This record gives sequence, structure tokens and C-alpha cells, in this order.
Amino acid sequence: MKVERVDAGQGLADPWGQAWSALPATTVALNPVDYEAQPNRYIRAAWKDRPYGQTVEARVAAASDGDRLYIRVEWPDDPRPNAEFQDAASAIFPMNGTGALATMGDPEKPLALWFWEDGRPSPLRLVSRGPGVFRKDDGSELSARGACNNGAWGVVFAGPEAVAGKGKVGVAIWNGSNEERGGLAAVSQDWLQLETAEE
Amino acid sequence: MTAPTSSRQLAWVFDLNKCIGCQTCSVACKVLWTREDGEKQQWWCSVNTMPGLGTPKDWESMGGGRDPQTGAPLPGHQPTREEFGGGFDYNYEEVFYGGTGGKAHLEPQGPRENRWAMNWDEDQGAGEWPNSYYFYMPRICNHCSEPTCMEACPTGALHKTDDGLVLRDEEVCMGDRFCMEACPYKKIYFNYERNVSQQCIGCFPRIEAGVAPVCVRQCPGRAVFIGFLDDAEGPVHKLVKEWNVALPLHPEAGTKPNVYYVPPLAPHRLRDDMSIDHDTPRIPKEYLESLFGPEVHDALATLKSEMETVRSGGSSEILKTLIAYRWHELLGPFTVDPATLTPEPTAHQET
Repeated sequence: MKVERVDAGQGLADPWGQAWSALPATTVALNPVDYEAQPNRYIRAAWKDRPYGQTVEARVAAASDGDRLYIRVEWPDDPRPNAEFQDAASAIFPMNGTGALATMGDPEKPLALWFWEDGRPSPLRLVSRGPGVFRKDDGSELSARGACNNGAWGVVFAGPEAVAGKGKVGVAIWNGSNEERGGLAAVSQDWLQLETAEE
Repeated sequence: MTAPTSSRQLAWVFDLNKCIGCQTCSVACKVLWTREDGEKQQWWCSVNTMPGLGTPKDWESMGGGRDPQTGAPLPGHQPTREEFGGGFDYNYEEVFYGGTGGKAHLEPQGPRENRWAMNWDEDQGAGEWPNSYYFYMPRICNHCSEPTCMEACPTGALHKTDDGLVLRDEEVCMGDRFCMEACPYKKIYFNYERNVSQQCIGCFPRIEAGVAPVCVRQCPGRAVFIGFLDDAEGPVHKLVKEWNVALPLHPEAGTKPNVYYVPPLAPHRLRDDMSIDHDTPRIPKEYLESLFGPEVHDALATLKSEMETVRSGGSSEILKTLIAYRWHELLGPFTVDPATLTPEPTAHQET
């Protein structure tokens, strides 16, 4: 997936802004995070017969202003109300070159998640070593903005350019209407290679 | 699952025959620990009338705990904001400054339907006059020896301390709330503003300073004991392990709770002709058994026997302990007066 080069301040922070409509997006197939890898028997028992991660695909686009990497994720909203749990999304990066998206990483090959959640005042940077096996990390350089528009969520993550280059990105979607959290999510089947456009 | 280990285990004993439902423990806890953002509806120590739906509403039917055969944690329901209820805003401005005199009354704002809160069903109880009955039950985190909350957490935010308390690292908690589902006692709250779960911390900063938890120290009825379960000379050990008159709540939940209750005796039942029925307890024994297990009958029999001994002019160590003539004995080894501690300077204190 090409990381489009844009000028700083081009309005990329707005997930439904004009700037994104001109940029190409890739459709990414999603799967439920691996059930057997869920981190404990409580979660496996509680979700044994309960579907999760049913968001089947997302549209992903990327851009860079030379300083910050912008990742936009769009997916259809589940309109069922839920007062307890919120919709959420992540842009996922391997921390050691690669890692398993299906299990949200593992202890040897952790993944870095830029995590946005509807209603949470600021995004988190998470280090993931398995489904929902997260550690909060310093996310002070991250920003994220999400908005629901005509039945679809659009979220734009922005963070240091350093993670782009020849890197990879994946995405995860949590459907709050279905009480999804932790490792109960839909996640990209495959990594998307981030190809930085030549200047 | 390998049970988490602690060197020692702190335990509480609440004497339900002495609890008068005054809410001093719950308010003391509230004032001390849950006054920050998102904690308005949290009552880490709650006192409810039993029988009753309790806090959160109908918590005893929300599942969690362990399978009695396999020990596996059982799925449970996550109590919602509405089921906990409370955290109301009141019309203070209107009543105190609105110039409406006696017309406006202080009341929670918002919809009236399905309103609920801690102690909402106070003193309703059960039974028919003249044999109606109820008793009060203070509840805190049970600091279980085999806590399902800890096992259900995917981030490892919960741990057992060396003293046996179940504590949460809020920096690690992601707010997934599996702990709330898995807890059979439903004593974990969610902070919707900070996106973390929270529960009774056993007043661990006080414990570390030698001060008894606030629910123990502030009880005006001398109804609460704290101590280490293995302290053979302490009242907690004696009441729980030696005399077997203090029992865990819902032991069938399988988490080995460390809060114990001296079960309630009740006034004698009255017959239709208002004569006293000495043979039928006013609180149905099936109900007490559903709370404390079959051991409740022996516990109550012991209490009655000890009372009879004293009435006959004898002496009872059990009753002397429960009466708590010496207040400090309730506090276990945590007898330091908090007023004698020098507070740590804080950022906003002038030095």
C-alpha cells in the first residue's frame, strides 16, 4: 500500500475531510482474532459459542507529510446500541520486523497498536503480546480522530514517521455493540506493506 | 489453574448481629477512596438489607465464580451502570436557592423509571407481619484466595499481595471488564471516565502504616474485625477457624473468599395467637443456608448455646470476643491511630 506524500497541514486529521477523498484506499479482509489463542480460560468459556470479530473488511489508506504517518481506517458501523462498550480500532505495526496478526502478536514477536476508542479522550500506544495481552506504552506522540458518517466509522491515526518506511501495517476493529474488547476483535488477515512514495 | 500465593491472608469478620445498617463504614470508605473523577457511583463498601436485590441490582443472579467440579471460572454478567445505579445529581440549586420554599423537594435528577442505587431497597426485607425479617450485610471485595477476577484479566492487572489482598494496577488495566463478569460477588466497578475497573483496595496504604481499614476502625457498633487468618491468638482466626461461627458468603462460588460473616440470629417467630414459637426461626433456615452454606446451622447453634451458657451464669469466650469489650481487639495488629501519622507532603501543600 502506497504511503501518499502530502503537504503538512493538508487537513488529514479529519477522517471525512476532502484530503482523504483524493487518496487511494485499499480494501483489507478481516478475520476474528484466533479463539484458541485467547489468553485465558475465562474468556474462552465466555465466548465459546458467541461470535466476535464479524467485521469482514475495512478500507485503509496511508499518507505522510514527511514528519508524521497518517493511517485512515473506515469500516461499517453496527448500529445496535450498547451503553457499556464502545467501538474501537487500531493501526498495528510489527515491533521486530514481523509478527502474527491472527493472535495480535506473541511474547517473542510483539506488535505495536495505535489504539483509538470512541469516547476515550486520547489514543493509546499498546504493546501487544497476544489477544488482548496489552501493555500501555508512551502514546504521547500519537493523535487520533474518529467520526461516524452515514453508517460508517472513519478514524485517522497520526504518529511518528519513523514507523513507516519499509514497514508493514495491519488493522483491528472492535465492535462495541457486540461487547468486543481485549482480544475479541476483527483483525487483518495479512500485513499491508507500506511503500513510501519517492519525493 | 495454580492458585495465587500470598505469605499471609488478611481476613475480615462482619458480625451481622451487631451491624445496624448505619452506613458509617460505607460512607467512611466513600469519603476516603472514591471521590475522584468517575467514582461517583462507586461504593467499594456497601451495606444492603437482606433479603434484597442489593448492589448491583440482583447481583446474586449474575453468575461468575468457579465450577464446583472442575474449578474452571464460570461466565458471568457484567453489571451495568444502571444496575449499580446511584451517582445521582440532585436539585440543590432549586431547593436551597430557588426561592420555591417548601414546594421543591430534594430528589435525584433524571428519569424516575428503573431508578436504583446502593441500599435502594433498604429495610424492605421479607416475610409478613408480625414475622417480617431483615438484616444488614456490609460487603467489600472478598480478597479471595482463588480470585476469578484475577484469572479472567487478560492484561495481568490484578495480583495478590503478600498480605493476601487483591489489588489492581490501574496503569495496566485496559478496562476490559472480564473481571467484573467473573467476580461472583459483583464488587468491581467500572470508571467510565478513566476507562479502568476499580474495587476495594483493603485500605492497603493504611495496612502498611499499621492502621486498620476504615470500614473496621470507623464502625460504631464494633461489628467488624480484621486480622490475619493464621494468627492463632487473634479474634479473626478464632471466630473463623476455631469456633466456626464466622462463615464466608456464597462459598459455593468457589473463590475462597476472605470476608466472613457471623450469621444473623432473629427474634422468635410469633404464632397467630401472638404466643412465641421457640422452634421455628423467623429467618428461614433455607435462606440462610443459601447465603452461607449448610455450616450456618452449626454456627447459629453455637451462638445460641453460648448465649444460653451466659444466661445461666456461665462465661463465653465467643460472646466476649463478639461483644468486643476492648475495641482494639477488633483491629488485629493494625492499632496505629491514623491521627498520629505525619502525612506525606503533597504538591499543593505549602512547606
